[in-house]
Amino acid sequence: MWRGSISPLKASFMRRFIARNAPAYAFLTPWLLGFFLLALGPILASLYLSFTRYDMVNAPRWVGLANYEYMFTRDRRFWKALEVTFTYVALAVPARLIMALGVAMLLDKGLRTIGLYRAIFYLPSLLGASIAIAILWRQLFAADGVVNAVLGYFGIQGAAWITNPDTSLYTLVVLAMWQFGSPMLIFLAGLRGIPKDLYEAAEIDGTPKWRQFTRITLPLLAPVIFFNLVLQTIEAFKTFSSAFIISNGTGAPADSLLFYTVYLFNEAFKFFRMGYASALAWVLLIIIAIFTAISFLTSKYWVHYENERD
Amino acid sequence: MELTRRRLLGAVGAGVAATALSAVPAKAATRIRHYWWGNPERDKRTFAVIDTFQKANPGIEVSGETIGWGDYWTKMATQTAGRNMADLVQMDYRYLFEYVRRGALKPLDEYVGKSLMIKDFDQGPIAGGMVDGKLYALNIGSNSQVIVHNTRVFKEAGVDVDLINWTWDDFAKACEQITAKSGGKVKGSDDLSLMIEAFESWVRQNGREFYGADGKVAATVDDVASYWQMWADLRKKDVVRSKDKTVILDPPLAESGVAVGDTAMSHYWSNQLVGIQAVAKDKIGPAMVPHKKGGKPGQFIKPSMFMSLSRDTKDAESAIKYMNAWVTDPAITKILGLERGIPASKAVRDALAPGLNETEKLSVAYFDAIQSKVGPLPLPAPKGAGEVRDAFMRIGTSVVLDRAKVKDAAEQFIADASDIVERAQ
Repeated sequence: MWRGSISPLKASFMRRFIARNAPAYAFLTPWLLGFFLLALGPILASLYLSFTRYDMVNAPRWVGLANYEYMFTRDRRFWKALEVTFTYVALAVPARLIMALGVAMLLDKGLRTIGLYRAIFYLPSLLGASIAIAILWRQLFAADGVVNAVLGYFGIQGAAWITNPDTSLYTLVVLAMWQFGSPMLIFLAGLRGIPKDLYEAAEIDGTPKWRQFTRITLPLLAPVIFFNLVLQTIEAFKTFSSAFIISNGTGAPADSLLFYTVYLFNEAFKFFRMGYASALAWVLLIIIAIFTAISFLTSKYWVHYENERD
Repeated sequence: MELTRRRLLGAVGAGVAATALSAVPAKAATRIRHYWWGNPERDKRTFAVIDTFQKANPGIEVSGETIGWGDYWTKMATQTAGRNMADLVQMDYRYLFEYVRRGALKPLDEYVGKSLMIKDFDQGPIAGGMVDGKLYALNIGSNSQVIVHNTRVFKEAGVDVDLINWTWDDFAKACEQITAKSGGKVKGSDDLSLMIEAFESWVRQNGREFYGADGKVAATVDDVASYWQMWADLRKKDVVRSKDKTVILDPPLAESGVAVGDTAMSHYWSNQLVGIQAVAKDKIGPAMVPHKKGGKPGQFIKPSMFMSLSRDTKDAESAIKYMNAWVTDPAITKILGLERGIPASKAVRDALAPGLNETEKLSVAYFDAIQSKVGPLPLPAPKGAGEVRDAFMRIGTSVVLDRAKVKDAAEQFIADASDIVERAQ
């Protein structure tokens, strides 16, 4: 029987597989445990809850697709939350990436104190997600805040940035721009990887700086730009704490800061609609997945890897 | 001695037991948590109460948790969801029904007369804490709506009107007078467009309750539109607080117009007179919410705060002991004073009377003066009332900022509020 003859082979393969990978799995165990217990469990539970009505005190009650139906057909605030979030993503991601690339190029000059500058520029990213910065931001952009005081110095009458629904979202875009640290570090590493002789050759040919940037830097940096774009887009969709604090936890003024996550949080933890909030969470997951997929699918048209031949 | 497996295990066992024993503190303490919304003055008093109680009851440790009203209910909801509520929570009339219906509170009936001595309480305050015939909330003070006013500014502007019986016309005139007299530095009043508590009085003056007997929204589009229109007119005359200050939601007491001196009037609850006087520069005084000419009474006497026993309590006996001390222990009721409202127990009120300070005397006099001018207590708000409050602020913001027409916004609000209540059931 050939079956009998293959099984010792299979067994020895298994043994070798285990012997070779056991240390890796041992090191992965804490993460795996965390993933299965703290992430996968709740993720699956929320999928189930999204088909229920659940007030977190009484047992969940199955309602089928009712949550999703309400969301897409009757819930005006759901659409408003999408509008706010998409506007934010569309503005904040490019703004932050341009800022990050700009600063990375300035730092890529071989300065001796580069470590110091890197640390200083990275600092806002560390602080940015904190509650304290969100509160500080609210003070800065308040009607009688620092920003208006500075503008007043130049004779410009400032607005009530945070409490005006027309401008409140932009204060958050500015905050996002200011936290350019992590994409900047990645850009910096990418810039370091571009062979210097390309620039030297271009220099000898008399290529202007701008063309060097568009013809050498951008194409060779494309994989890094792509990586940053995907990561920052996901990040931007998930923006929560700054929006929550600045909008007093409600999306105020007049829902202009009703980020998707803020809406989701309110539905879940303020209005006791955990089932509906779970459905909202799954829709957000799908939206992020679609955007990531689009980035990957289009990437072959604009991202070129150095070891590829065309 | 030969080391056997059994002996070794025994030794380890003894060691573990010894460690466990040493971990037990000298006195077996039980810990209860008390959670309330506060302001600096209230927090000071409450922590003093906790100290006093702990000294008298060495076996019970009370841990106090306080936060401003703006964040209170979010934190409470999160704790409720996590089955991690404090043993004793401060409860508000607007939210009582909601929390009882969700099964988050325990009834107190079994303790009444045994460990919770509230026999001499007035009937009104007791009834306010009942849901479905059971007592779920212990009244720790009664209050009513009040327009707090700056007495110095009133005097300087020459506003001389009967502040108990005045009308909305008198109110508007006072706003104009004050703004004109101060050259615009002090505006007449805070803009109450976003304050559903004030709007509810308005609806009652029109002869309706905000929520009808069936628990549905009974206020009409006209009620909302006329209310917002009145404030729009005052904004047009520039005699109320600036828009960007108005749309800040639930600002802390210390940032209200009367406290910082921007305005001469603001809407509060009568027990808050004590808290506002603590942060205001000038002497403040109470006035009734203005009446509608020929209208019905808008204000009512309501339980200002309750203390409730949460579903998550592990030591109900100790919690009730603490609760009982709040309304019976003379040392504690003296610390509390009238800051949370007028006590429901006659014995406590009588004991407090001689020691009241000036503001407290004012608030008692106010309370007495309005007794014949108020209407009955409305029914408890239905599930979803908290969310309706949010909707009022949200849509009101659009009106204040001129982004929506008054009439459209009013229609929108009534539609949204009805939806919210229907969906919450």
